Amino acid sequence: MPVRWILHWQPNQGSSVNSHILNEISQCVDNFNGVKDGRWKATLTFYRPNLRDSSMAATEFPRDFIGISLMEVPNKYFFIIRGHKLVLEADSSILTIFEKLQSYKSKVALNFEGLQYKLGDFQVRLIKVVPNTAENLRGILMEIEYLPISSVEKAKPIIEEFVEIWREVLSKKSLHGQFMRAEPNFAEYGLADNYTWQHTAVQYAAALAQLIASVQSRN
Amino acid sequence: MRGSGNYRDTGTGSSEVRLLCDLEQTEPSWTVRHVGGAMRGAGADQISVLVRTMVESKVSKNVLRMFYVLGYRLDHELLRVGFSFQFNRGAQITVTVSSVNKMLKLHATDEAVPVTPGIQMVEVTAPASAENYTEVAAAVQSFCEYLAPLLHLSKPGVSTGVVPTAAAAAASLMSDGGGTPL
Repeated sequence: MPVRWILHWQPNQGSSVNSHILNEISQCVDNFNGVKDGRWKATLTFYRPNLRDSSMAATEFPRDFIGISLMEVPNKYFFIIRGHKLVLEADSSILTIFEKLQSYKSKVALNFEGLQYKLGDFQVRLIKVVPNTAENLRGILMEIEYLPISSVEKAKPIIEEFVEIWREVLSKKSLHGQFMRAEPNFAEYGLADNYTWQHTAVQYAAALAQLIASVQSRN
Repeated sequence: MRGSGNYRDTGTGSSEVRLLCDLEQTEPSWTVRHVGGAMRGAGADQISVLVRTMVESKVSKNVLRMFYVLGYRLDHELLRVGFSFQFNRGAQITVTVSSVNKMLKLHATDEAVPVTPGIQMVEVTAPASAENYTEVAAAVQSFCEYLAPLLHLSKPGVSTGVVPTAAAAAASLMSDGGGTPL
């Protein structure tokens, strides 16, 4: 499948993310003659251990256990434990199994919602990150997919150039921030050069960790 | 060959899950399986087969490590070697004839020894929904009666002892064709 990069909006020190920034970026994509290609959605869930024995410390269990569902593959579910460089692809019935096991519960869910655009050989998704139970914008992501190539290494210079063009365009808008990429080491997750849904899941987890870190540093 | 491990969560109360690895393929493939308790009550006693919920999910190869990281610990590990047969007789019926082996060292499938040497287990199963399980149970019961000249099958938990004709049953089923290696 084609290679994707996932970038997160990093506000400058003292700035925050807001819907004005999102609108300005959308405007730029429209100005580039991007063809709107439909809506896009994903959900990311943080899980916490369901400790029935109070003597067990929560620290004995992973704190970064995340699940991701992607609209494009509705019959699949992905688990990531970043601290252990672990990614698992499963049938979506795995959620029923975990509900029966009762060992982990959903703590917080985030919705990723956006629009996708076609720009020549690229597909671009502009994504807002909102909590499942609220409307306030928590972050902005941009997903860039280069359709002709499925090799991570081969696609790198091409997507890098595309990203630089975008950074330059957006820098002229005085949006007090820029798109950054938390580039995960795919090999550490046991992933090969051929791009897969697991690569996407790992990138989303990495991007989200950066969003959380930047919110915490501002607070 | 199919290996399976039963994993029990140690920190969050009783929570068991089975991880199955199909070793017959060129690339081992993994499945997570949760088996619920047996159906209980007067209705269940009337049915001569065991009915219980089961949920399965195919997973990628990191599943073993993931469950360890989540706090699960190995309860026991078994290797099943044998054959499975598919029949369509009122329900999609699967018959497996297999030896159950324990591994002397963790995951050492080459060093497995039979739990009951010379004795094989015959299992007859069929998937069902909440709406049709009584019909499926009847089909399974009818199929077991059809096998009665060769072997006597009992509801799990209701022991009728070991039947010496299990090997003859397997040979007979294999000679009929339609068997695939387990």
